[in-house]
Amino acid sequence: MADEVMSDQEAYFLERIDRGDRIEAEDWMPEEYRNQLVRLIAMHAVSEIMGALPEKEWVPRAPTLYRRLAITAKVQDEVGHGQLLIRVAEDLMRPWGKNREDIMSDLFSGRLKYHNVFHMATPTWADAGIIGWLVDGAAVITQGMSLTCSYAPYARALQRIVEEEGFHIQHGESICMALAEGTPMQRAMLQDALNRWWPALLMFFGPPEKSQLSTNQLRNIRWRIRSKTNEELRQRFFTKYVHRIWSLGLTIPDPTLRQDPETKEWTYQQPDWNEFRAIVNNQGPRSVARLGLRSTTYAEGEWVRAMISRSSMAV
Amino acid sequence: MAHLDFDVYEVFAQPDSMSPHVHVFNVLASSPDMALALAEENFFRRESYTNLWVVRRDHIHQLGFKDRDGFQKTVKSYRTTDDYKYLRDKWRYYREHPMRPGGGEASERVDD
Repeated sequence: MADEVMSDQEAYFLERIDRGDRIEAEDWMPEEYRNQLVRLIAMHAVSEIMGALPEKEWVPRAPTLYRRLAITAKVQDEVGHGQLLIRVAEDLMRPWGKNREDIMSDLFSGRLKYHNVFHMATPTWADAGIIGWLVDGAAVITQGMSLTCSYAPYARALQRIVEEEGFHIQHGESICMALAEGTPMQRAMLQDALNRWWPALLMFFGPPEKSQLSTNQLRNIRWRIRSKTNEELRQRFFTKYVHRIWSLGLTIPDPTLRQDPETKEWTYQQPDWNEFRAIVNNQGPRSVARLGLRSTTYAEGEWVRAMISRSSMAV
Repeated sequence: MAHLDFDVYEVFAQPDSMSPHVHVFNVLASSPDMALALAEENFFRRESYTNLWVVRRDHIHQLGFKDRDGFQKTVKSYRTTDDYKYLRDKWRYYREHPMRPGGGEASERVDD
């Protein structure tokens, strides 16, 4: 980019970014800025939609009526977040003549990836608790950063989303707290779930940069699409949650995990990044089943979409 | 798959009868009724409201980008109460040192 001659539009765009101005959907933007946003926001949107599925499995099996109402509300919230984000992505894709149907077909074909954590199994009620407490906790750390995103419609959507995530986290904390205060069997169930989720939680933030940022990352930081690196976000997660996890008498399945008292930096066992790449390429434990469910439901709902369409196509 | 013939509707909500309708977000819908239903489901699962408006996006007219920059106003203190802050001190002073009827220095015997 440095070698190219910058157009007046581009220079003005950067000047706006630098003074903290936010960009709206109809404003001029570099094509690559639009590309990066669509990639990020479409991925976020389908992650919310796919993210409803692991917890949805616990709606009919929740231990009490109250828990069932709460987890139903949470699942509905996640799908609602997907709706908001798909709208934001659609407005960006409009100049390309694309819309939500393209997002869904990209998801089904595997072209569009979704977050690693939603490929994982949820065999016990404790998994539902850990998702609310720690997966949503991790998500809020990433989304909290993105509230400063230079693209205004995305930042506005996140403001609504982050507000609801506050409820999700406490919903998860409440489930985990009840299990931690419960019988030895319930405590063991919670510990098992933590063991299962720990590597996935570390993977959630993406591979560490090791002091060299990719050109993509540098550009996204320059454009204020993001402001922190994967590793900075992961470190925040440790600082926020490790002591809380320990305070419930749980063991984090990483004997090497410790914080430097001087630098406050956490050292930890790297998860298997090859496994991470396999998971996000739909080779995770539940990838095929959940994508199958999602695409079957989508196909089965086709007649509903046709019926409510403005031109009311004949069914 | 047939292209779905939907419109974008912008959603405005009025939290209580003394507040203006404020822009909330937008939904994709095939009719105003559907837009209202979606707006309720998407944005008001918890918050309450007095009224909701949905407006088809292509019915909204806005200033172009060049104009939006012009919204940065210069300081106009003569249009606000900012320039009149000194009045508070004056009023306090004259409560303690009232002017004489017809003007001039404050009277010695205030109560008369």
